[in-house]
Amino acid sequence: MTNAIGLAGLVPVLVFLLAALGLALMVRRKSRAASTGGFVKEYFIGDRALGGFVLAMTTIATYGSVSSFVGGPGQAWNIGFGWVYMATVQVVTLFLLYGIMGKKMALVSRKLGSVTVIDVIRERYQSNALAVAAAFILVLFFAATMVAQFVGGAKLFEAVTGYSYVTGLFLFGAAVIIFTAVGGFRGVAVTDALCGIAMLVGIAVLAGGIFSAGGGYENVMNTIQANRPELLEPFAGGAMPLTLYFTQWLLVGVLTFCLPQSVVRCMGYKDTKSLHKAMIWGTVIIGAMMIGITALGTLSAGVLTDDLAAYGGSVDNIIPIAIAQTLPPWLAGIAIVGPIAASISTVSSLLIASSSAIVKDLWLHRAEEKGVEVKDAHVSRFSQIATFGIGVIVFVLAVTPPDVIWKINMFAFGGLETAFCWVFVGALFWKRANKTGAIASMVGGTLTYCLTMAIGFKLFGLHQIVIGITVALVLMVVGSYLGKPGDKKMLQVFFPEK
Amino acid sequence: MASSKDGLTYRQKMLQANKEAKATVVSLVLCIAVWAAAGFGLSGLDVKVFGTPVWIIGGTVGTWLFAVAVAVFLAKRVFADFDLDDDEEEGADRD
Repeated sequence: MTNAIGLAGLVPVLVFLLAALGLALMVRRKSRAASTGGFVKEYFIGDRALGGFVLAMTTIATYGSVSSFVGGPGQAWNIGFGWVYMATVQVVTLFLLYGIMGKKMALVSRKLGSVTVIDVIRERYQSNALAVAAAFILVLFFAATMVAQFVGGAKLFEAVTGYSYVTGLFLFGAAVIIFTAVGGFRGVAVTDALCGIAMLVGIAVLAGGIFSAGGGYENVMNTIQANRPELLEPFAGGAMPLTLYFTQWLLVGVLTFCLPQSVVRCMGYKDTKSLHKAMIWGTVIIGAMMIGITALGTLSAGVLTDDLAAYGGSVDNIIPIAIAQTLPPWLAGIAIVGPIAASISTVSSLLIASSSAIVKDLWLHRAEEKGVEVKDAHVSRFSQIATFGIGVIVFVLAVTPPDVIWKINMFAFGGLETAFCWVFVGALFWKRANKTGAIASMVGGTLTYCLTMAIGFKLFGLHQIVIGITVALVLMVVGSYLGKPGDKKMLQVFFPEK
Repeated sequence: MASSKDGLTYRQKMLQANKEAKATVVSLVLCIAVWAAAGFGLSGLDVKVFGTPVWIIGGTVGTWLFAVAVAVFLAKRVFADFDLDDDEEEGADRD
């Protein structure tokens, strides 16, 4: 890259990473002193103490990834405002999550003393096989997403600063692994809030760059109108078919309420006031962020007016080039903190959730079943080692990434939604849902989704999420009617109304 | 009598949560309708504001503002405040 900004790009990233590390350490010291519920509850769910602002920010930062900051806006440069219109569907995600899952997950997990979503699923369906399947699917898809996040962040770092890919990866890879292992869920949530702010700042700075380079907003729009008028049409001259709008509504809109990394946040907040506050502010912020950054992708077409070939032939280069070309080096350095924050805030949340699946849902549960008592000090050491270990594995995978890495993010979203959607909905809202239905839905749905993805089979040209989610629903219903009804006493916790 | 300090039993809280979930689903449907009407619905108009076709404003910022209004309405009018911790004993929830 010719416009690499070198040291000026490195310093803001370093300052940001050190701030995140410091914050995580501080949170850990404070929470150790105040903790009442034992190590597991503190480390994996932060003693259920998140306030409204942190709850909103951690949900958004986990959900908003480096793809939202680089891949999506790059597509928006190519396709136009139709892509921004499509990204807008994400404004419903926060109130959906909190409105559907928020209160019930909070009530049920407190009643059962659960600290992970798999805990809740295991208890509701009284099935270890289901819990093991859920842990396996969760860790697999999370690991794939984490690799994609690392790769995306490091590529961007390389493109903008001119330092090598591995340098970037090592810098923020090491930072995120350490602060997650040390800080636990609460550390992740608080650093997520910091990341969310950095993401908003990055958007604002880049907006300033694009508008000043393009001679103001209206001029930018007029340039686009003159050069590529199809960018101003909702169907983008055929590049944005209605079917794509439909499947994106499912993938990044409606079905996101059952992503396990989001649902676990419904078990970690303090009180109903925090949830209500997070719902309002979360909706404000996610709209500003997702519409803002995607629109900047399209608007950069008013500044980057050449063919795609001139920008290295990949839409993923658009945002890095826009940052490097429209901003003076020191501001460009601040702007790239945004996408890097998006990357590490997603990784940290998935890392702590993967670690909780392995430590709490597999290891500690087995020990409990065998009647072995594990000391808190052991759990503490092993949990941090597990978090660190998973992080290192993901890091190593990201050093020599597979080519298809950019597609993995959406693939994993769809896979997790297929696996967990009906299992969660059944758990909380359908009394008849039972073990047979849940296992069939999770395993059958996920296999169908992965298989149709692998062979490229589509129905009516729609993304495979449609097949996955439908098969999972049918299996849940059929399985639940064929199998025996669930345990009466346990159902009392979930359905006290009848 | 087995209720927590705000007067709701565990059972009542779970019922309230069901109500809130239903209102949320209705809100989603409204948001989808507004999104379609303010975006696709306005795309035939040849009106521009600051060089921006009006369907872009309606479909993105318009939908967002509507979603914020929905979130405020839900949080202030539909959703109830109660204690999430549940002190009542097993089997004591009758009313």
